[in-house]
Amino acid sequence: MATPTPPISHPCWLRLANGSFNRLQTQHLGTQLMVKRMERSPAPAAAKAAEIHQFFSKWERVLVAELAQIPSL
Amino acid sequence: MNELISVAAATELIRRGVPLSLAGPAAALRQLPPGRWIGGTIPYFMVATGGAVVEDDRLFATDLSSAGVEVRFACYGPDELARITAEAPDNGFSLTIIPAGGQALRHFAHDAADYTDAFVKPTVGWISGIHLRDLGQAKPLVFDGQTGQAHEDGAVVAHVRIADDQLASVEIVNIFEPGDGEVLHFDETGFEVGECTVGGRRMRLLDYLDSVGAADGRLPLVGDFAGAHVNVSVQALNGPEGQVSLYAPVFPGVDYRLARPVPDYAAAFRARLAEYDASGAAFSCNCILNFLFGELEGKAIGGVEGPVTFGEIAYQLLNQTMVVVRLQ
Repeated sequence: MATPTPPISHPCWLRLANGSFNRLQTQHLGTQLMVKRMERSPAPAAAKAAEIHQFFSKWERVLVAELAQIPSL
Repeated sequence: MNELISVAAATELIRRGVPLSLAGPAAALRQLPPGRWIGGTIPYFMVATGGAVVEDDRLFATDLSSAGVEVRFACYGPDELARITAEAPDNGFSLTIIPAGGQALRHFAHDAADYTDAFVKPTVGWISGIHLRDLGQAKPLVFDGQTGQAHEDGAVVAHVRIADDQLASVEIVNIFEPGDGEVLHFDETGFEVGECTVGGRRMRLLDYLDSVGAADGRLPLVGDFAGAHVNVSVQALNGPEGQVSLYAPVFPGVDYRLARPVPDYAAAFRARLAEYDASGAAFSCNCILNFLFGELEGKAIGGVEGPVTFGEIAYQLLNQTMVVVRLQ
């Protein structure tokens, strides 16, 4: 069963924003480029977290494998 | 529809209000009436029978009505390109054509990955060009079909909104992989490179390419974007101070390696495309350097038909890469 995108209040998004996004295993082009964007971005962690959450909310249907990894990152 | 058609057939579709993205010679595009279309100049195409050079009154037409439930057209100046994603539909894609050689291409290449919503509202498309015989004599153009006006700079865009139960998947087919050589790092974003860091040592990129037998510029640098291979192709190695000119910028904070050589481009593409699921493909393009170095004229490689271009757009500018947008 697919993992739904956790709400924006979930701590996973800040963890991703603070660096664990780099450990995501993915072959999805948009996600790979998004990881690099976040890595290079000088934005505050909270802004990055919101952006990553928005990204997963949009692509939830095709990022099943990626969403399943998020709790362990 | 993704196929070569006559100017007369394109004119008829435009008169019927069919939203189109068109590619072809400038003389053919200039014959079209104003309407719901965008266009860009290029005479090179990959079609079912193989690579083709078109110099007559045919145009490659992509019927966007088969992909989208709503298509809006726009034309942006070189300093307005952030509006592409700002004005894109919440669900869909923005098919974008930018001419080679202008400020718009430089701005887009430099900034596209940083635009607001760049990876939520995908931009795909291509860089228009000219017949290589006409280099230095003709300019790549884009056409705003709403007015029929041609532009040497800027971007023309078809914002395609798709059905709520679909997603636009932007995919690439890249026959290049990073080779076994040293990792290259660059100090700043740019199309022209003097010195860089090669395996931790400072040296000129020109000298590095020469030292590894890559001074012919046929192999791209392959950037590692979290596992995605993003090519940067070499344009010239003869800058006045030993700079190397590139067709796309390199970025700091990215590991680059020279690509592993590909002995047979057509065979490599055929192998990759044989295992590629192109179902739902709405648009595709491939790179002029693959067409040239792979001698693809007349060689069928499979996959989706489309223009052969001076650069490809999949969220950001790519080189020597096939781009496909599929609806899933």
